[in-house]
Amino acid sequence: MHLRQNSTGRWRSLQGRSDVVSRVRAWMMIVGICTTTLFLSGCKWQFGWGYNQGYAPEQPLPFNHELHVGLHKIQCLYCHNQAERSPNASIPALSTCMNCHLLVKAESPFIQKLREASDKGESIPWVKVHMLPDHVKFSHSAHLAKGVNCEVCHGQVEKMIVLKQDSDLSMGWCINCHREPKYNAPLNCSTCHH
Amino acid sequence: MSEINKDIVQKQTQPEALQPEALQPEALQPEALQPAQFGYWKSLAQWNQDSEFQKAAAQEFQSSPLREEELTEEDRDGGWARREFLKLMGASLAMASTACIRRPVQKIVPYNKAVEEITFGLPNYYTSSYFDGAESLGLLVKTREGRPIKIDGNPKHPLNGGASSTRAQGSILSLYDPERLHGPRKISSGTAVETTWAEADASIVAQLQKGGVVVLTGALNSPATTALVKEFTQGFKAKHVQYEALSSEEIREGQKASYGDEAVPFYHFEKAKIIVSVDADFLGTWLAPTAFTRQFAAGRKDPATMNKLVSFDSNYSLTGANADIRVKIKPSQQVDVVMGLAHEIVVKKGASKFAAQSSVKSALAAFAETPTKLGISHELFSRLAEDLWKHKGQSLIVAGGLVTQTEAAKDLQVAVNFLNSVLENDGATVDGRSGFSGLKASTKAIFELIEEMKKGSVKTLVIHGVNPNYTLPSAAGFREAVKNVGMIISSSDRVDETGTVSSYVLPDNHPMESWGDAEIIDGVYTIQQPTIRPMYDTRSFQLSLMTWAKIAKVGGKRISSSDSYYDYVQAIWKDEIYSQVAKAAAKGTNKAAGFESFWDQALQTGVVDLGKQTKSSPARTFKLDALNSVKAKSASGLELVLYPTVNLGDGRFANISWLQELPDPVSKICWDNFAAVSLATAEKLQLKEKTLVELVIGGRSVKIPLYIQPGLHNDVVTVAIGYGRTAAGKIANNVGVNAFDFAKIEKGALIASGLIVELKPTQEAYKLACVAGNATMEGRKIVAEATLTEYLKEKGANNHRHKTFSIWSGHQYNGNKWGMAVDLNSCTGCSACMIACQAENNIPVVGKKYVLQGREMHWMRVDRYYVGNPENAEAVFQPVMCQQCDNAPCETVCPVLATVHSSEGLNDMTYNRCVGTRYCSNNCPYKVRRFNWFNFTGPVEKPLNLQYNPDVTVRPRGVMEKCTFCVHRIKAARNQSRLENRELKEGDIQTACEQVCPAKAIIFGDLNDPESRVAKIFKEEPRAYGLLEEFNAAPAVRYLTKIRNNDQEKRFPGTEGASHNKGGHA
Repeated sequence: MHLRQNSTGRWRSLQGRSDVVSRVRAWMMIVGICTTTLFLSGCKWQFGWGYNQGYAPEQPLPFNHELHVGLHKIQCLYCHNQAERSPNASIPALSTCMNCHLLVKAESPFIQKLREASDKGESIPWVKVHMLPDHVKFSHSAHLAKGVNCEVCHGQVEKMIVLKQDSDLSMGWCINCHREPKYNAPLNCSTCHH
Repeated sequence: MSEINKDIVQKQTQPEALQPEALQPEALQPEALQPAQFGYWKSLAQWNQDSEFQKAAAQEFQSSPLREEELTEEDRDGGWARREFLKLMGASLAMASTACIRRPVQKIVPYNKAVEEITFGLPNYYTSSYFDGAESLGLLVKTREGRPIKIDGNPKHPLNGGASSTRAQGSILSLYDPERLHGPRKISSGTAVETTWAEADASIVAQLQKGGVVVLTGALNSPATTALVKEFTQGFKAKHVQYEALSSEEIREGQKASYGDEAVPFYHFEKAKIIVSVDADFLGTWLAPTAFTRQFAAGRKDPATMNKLVSFDSNYSLTGANADIRVKIKPSQQVDVVMGLAHEIVVKKGASKFAAQSSVKSALAAFAETPTKLGISHELFSRLAEDLWKHKGQSLIVAGGLVTQTEAAKDLQVAVNFLNSVLENDGATVDGRSGFSGLKASTKAIFELIEEMKKGSVKTLVIHGVNPNYTLPSAAGFREAVKNVGMIISSSDRVDETGTVSSYVLPDNHPMESWGDAEIIDGVYTIQQPTIRPMYDTRSFQLSLMTWAKIAKVGGKRISSSDSYYDYVQAIWKDEIYSQVAKAAAKGTNKAAGFESFWDQALQTGVVDLGKQTKSSPARTFKLDALNSVKAKSASGLELVLYPTVNLGDGRFANISWLQELPDPVSKICWDNFAAVSLATAEKLQLKEKTLVELVIGGRSVKIPLYIQPGLHNDVVTVAIGYGRTAAGKIANNVGVNAFDFAKIEKGALIASGLIVELKPTQEAYKLACVAGNATMEGRKIVAEATLTEYLKEKGANNHRHKTFSIWSGHQYNGNKWGMAVDLNSCTGCSACMIACQAENNIPVVGKKYVLQGREMHWMRVDRYYVGNPENAEAVFQPVMCQQCDNAPCETVCPVLATVHSSEGLNDMTYNRCVGTRYCSNNCPYKVRRFNWFNFTGPVEKPLNLQYNPDVTVRPRGVMEKCTFCVHRIKAARNQSRLENRELKEGDIQTACEQVCPAKAIIFGDLNDPESRVAKIFKEEPRAYGLLEEFNAAPAVRYLTKIRNNDQEKRFPGTEGASHNKGGHA
């Protein structure tokens, strides 16, 4: 490559005559190599692009899993009580929150906000943290029935002040577990895609 | 198509049975036709080896973006030209690449108060009922997160069981129809203006109080609505008229003349060994086709003792297509058929209690020469009579429906009743005491009403559930008569044809938003339970009546004591149905539970059966006087036959895209109606397919596309009703021609059949979207049939095995291995499975343009093959879905592994991996793969998207798709079994097509379970065969040969063998 960087930081050809031609050629080559690498590398080399690992959005109310799960030892299934029988774990209804918060910490401004919504018949628009594409069908109940506990996928929620996505939820990550002999899990495409 | 495949195809297009050199178009003269020349064929183009057809058959895809020259100017304007397509592709790529950095924020909004019965992600089921003016079903509606997504039959229902019809399946889309009215409308000078309920109520009540009120409804089979209308009409001194375009009036009149009581009887096809149908399409459109199909198929499960269906058919109906012996007739011969048979039995054989009566003999004398008149052999006719007499008490003669609405409609019914009485069927297979009590609609009544309207004595007309401005011929004068009516109130869910001439359109709730009830046949009650809260500002018709009665302070005690129609329904059930149950219980030892628990139980099971059917019904005395009016008639000229189709019926569901795109079971044409004639008639009158013809009737002429229907009588032209709507919505408007308009009114009765018409050719080109040419299997013998005689000699007749071998050891299936069996002897081709599949699997509708290009998306199709020559073609139906081959040809060619084999024997299709090479489709021997040429699902108008099944991915453009054996249902059942800590068992999983099938022709199960029904069929059933077995694709679907109970020794030559290409025979 007959290229070098000049003082202004721009690439210039050493041979002025075919300046434009070689510059275009060089760029084409770079772009070509990048594209080919991207195409050939497949999932492994995508550096987690498109995955939301570590995603911890701000929620409308600062719900603290560490406090509820870690300190007060409330079971996951107390609130996410549909996880055992449904594909969806579901966010609990406000009435579930109010079971305790009718009395507990009633003076907190956040709880007052919750109570207000509850009294008005409104809801809280929580921000979804764990997102799977529409063509992936995941079932919480199937995994729980097989003895796969919440923390296997969701990590140590009892230590999360702000809930974050612990795993990358990529297909490779799913398959890793499904391949383990101890789970005896199916590896068919239609297990998740239908 | 690869070179190898091309080679195979070239060999296969000329199987032994089809000899192209003998079938040049000039050889198409009827007299030159010998059945020996024919195998199975799907269309006339295939039959005469049309060069265009062969060209199309050689290509997997009839059109592709690469063949741009085929695009018309309209295509380019439509924005789908190739350049545009690429531009869009580029745009979506760019969007995809920016979006994948961080996904858009999604919100989860939980309930305020947890709802007890809803678990997110799991369906809830509610019992309900369905009624379309003729057929009524008990339903089980599947809802997800509060929205109904699928309708199925209630397995506990005594009539339809778990089965339902195409129209019931499709009716869910009418709930989400974007064109439903969102609130009450006042129509002033042709335009609909928004109004409020209070405003409308005030002006309507003021008008009602002026008197001259008529309530015009469809047939009412709801005890509560009937009582309410009665109370309302008494309160306002109003008149109640029940009208249906497809009424059963002629049956009631015939019953009254013959036996004295005016009711539509119930028929027991399951008890009949021999069934003769004279233009009664009981498997397709007549009375209760779902229940009748169930009964009929039950009598064919064991071929050794199967029933025999003989059909005398003016139209090529679904019933005719399923007949063991089909005889083509014209409408003017209907009476002759029945009386001719009676003559054979009573006069010739001297059998039955009527044989001695001279009046009977003289009435029958005119029908001695019926076989000659029909052009059939005397032997066939007398053998049929012999058979009928042999099975007296176990035979059944039926006639009825629009096709029998000739001038002699009542006479035909009398003749049928007479023959049933001769054969001692009355009380055995015909239950005249407890029948379809709800079918009381009358066409004569509406003509009387129109007369009154013209006189000006009707001041207010309240219309519910019918659309007379569309279903009445213009000769009826409804449009002129409405001008004399002070106020017309329509309760339609849109401003339909009748709505446009109304003063108010007050939208009724959809049946799935309202409480209600139904008495389907005497003593079988069903509650109609709402499954969703009213989506818009609508009000049920019944509540409207109650509201008006309350404002005017008229009406009876029940209206004043009920706050809602729900209260009213409960009150009726308490007074009329519960009281009977309690009385019956009081006689026994059991004490009846209270009303509350009775009601809850009725909701839970979905049906209350008072058991009136099980009691034996004594035979009634036939009044011989009735026979006096039955006279032989002769007619000449081309006779018109109007018929309802399986998909659209009377046209009330015309705006449901699924039903419009569902190919008609026999003609396989969708998105149009047409005039069908026989091949000989078309040649005689020089009418050509793909052109319009001029249909001249009563001095008027209408242009309509021509279709040549094999197996039609030469003097018949058939046209379907239900098309040609003008104010139904975007989908239905101006699709086809309104054939109701061809009907004639004579002596206050509607004549829809047997009218003399003329056909004239025109030069105008018009293409019909017929799917019978798409996905052809190119003359390979796919269906297997045998006659009963052959079957009794050898159970596996016409079905031979091939020796196959593989150099590969094959897959191991250690857990479940899914398989399916389809009994061609039960399948009637009703196509309910296609709609059920469409509803379950979010299958898009593509529209006529793309059907013409072979791009329909149905995952399963029902192929209709003709056999024999076009003059007397018989039909065979074969549902074809993905065969889930063990050695699947599609899997080996996918370059991106988007379709791979599962450990349970399924060919999994992974949409997100598919890049759309379409190699799999090219390599599929069964042509079951469907490609999303465009984003068919994307532009679906809201709220139609609410119907989508959340368990099935909605596929975007560029992706291949196909039947999955309802893998999501397999998964759901497995999850459920795991939660219940048990193994999956037979019956846990039903595919959508299996569930809906009224004939129970489809069986799904685990081949690794030796006790399962499919495993037994695969292993033991001699009738079972796989499609193209000799290629050793090892499909996981087996078909059971169809058996024809037609007294013949053999099927037509050239039809032996399931598939007969190559490979050694075992």
